[in-house]
Amino acid sequence: MNRNQIFCSLVTGISFLIGTITLSAQEISEFPGAQLATQGLGRPYWHVFIAYAIAIGIVFFWVVSIGRRLSQIEKKIGN
Amino acid sequence: MSSKKILLAGTVLAMIGLVWLGAVYWMSFFWVSTEVTQGIAQRIMYVHVPAAWTSFLAFGLAALFSAVYLWLRDERLDRAAVSAAEGGMVFATIMLITGPLWGKIAWGTYWTWEPRLTLTLLLWFIFLGYFLVRSSTENPERGKRHAAVVAIIGALDIPFIHLSVIWFRSLHPEPVVIKAEGPTLPGDMLTTLLMSFGAFTVLFLGLFLLRYSFENLRSELDTRSRHASV
Repeated sequence: MNRNQIFCSLVTGISFLIGTITLSAQEISEFPGAQLATQGLGRPYWHVFIAYAIAIGIVFFWVVSIGRRLSQIEKKIGN
Repeated sequence: MSSKKILLAGTVLAMIGLVWLGAVYWMSFFWVSTEVTQGIAQRIMYVHVPAAWTSFLAFGLAALFSAVYLWLRDERLDRAAVSAAEGGMVFATIMLITGPLWGKIAWGTYWTWEPRLTLTLLLWFIFLGYFLVRSSTENPERGKRHAAVVAIIGALDIPFIHLSVIWFRSLHPEPVVIKAEGPTLPGDMLTTLLMSFGAFTVLFLGLFLLRYSFENLRSELDTRSRHASV
């Protein structure tokens, strides 16, 4: 496993963790954010979750893109 | 600074940035209080505004590196400029997607041709042009010079974007953090927003260094290929 593969694995793990936090936000009620559940605005929930998911998705895409390009160029230089 | 050190610094900063961003997500969903008027939709601010700041920082750096590149003609500056510009495009895209999602709740529409939105979209297209100009000339050196000019022109748009809400009639609210009398946000919202600024900035700097490392390696490969063909 080279350095870039380790880097990509770590980034994937951290991104998965962030995604889990985002999704679990709908479930937990004992935190101060519990007031959200009583807000009853409905649709805005989806806008917020989509916005947060898109933000981390685009960052993740850029991270993977850089990792892949670095990996490919290191292979070429190594050959 | 050697290539390996830059790569290591970039990796460490990117890791810190991602973990920090995780903490910001947690704060945004579980810790910060809900704004009275807009409700939960206001929480989009904690990704939208820092993404905007980071894109302006990245485009500003791209313009700065480009200006110095035009002066000194040092290839490293061009590599730094293209790395920063790519980061700027990434964060500007986040800003341009999350903004309309917030706008639909706050204004009732995803998009309106008001000054700040229009100027921001213009900035995105100018830097899209930056990449097109780089790759559209047969002479790479000329492409880099022309792209550097485009980056400088693009960055001139940034102050207008910031001041457009003051100068023109705009749906966007006036600044709540960077203002003469100090920030007017409540404490927990300001803390979350500043944490998010920090996370986005560190993440950008880390990924910028990694992207710059890639440009260095590509340049090294090009040099080797040229020597091999001579």
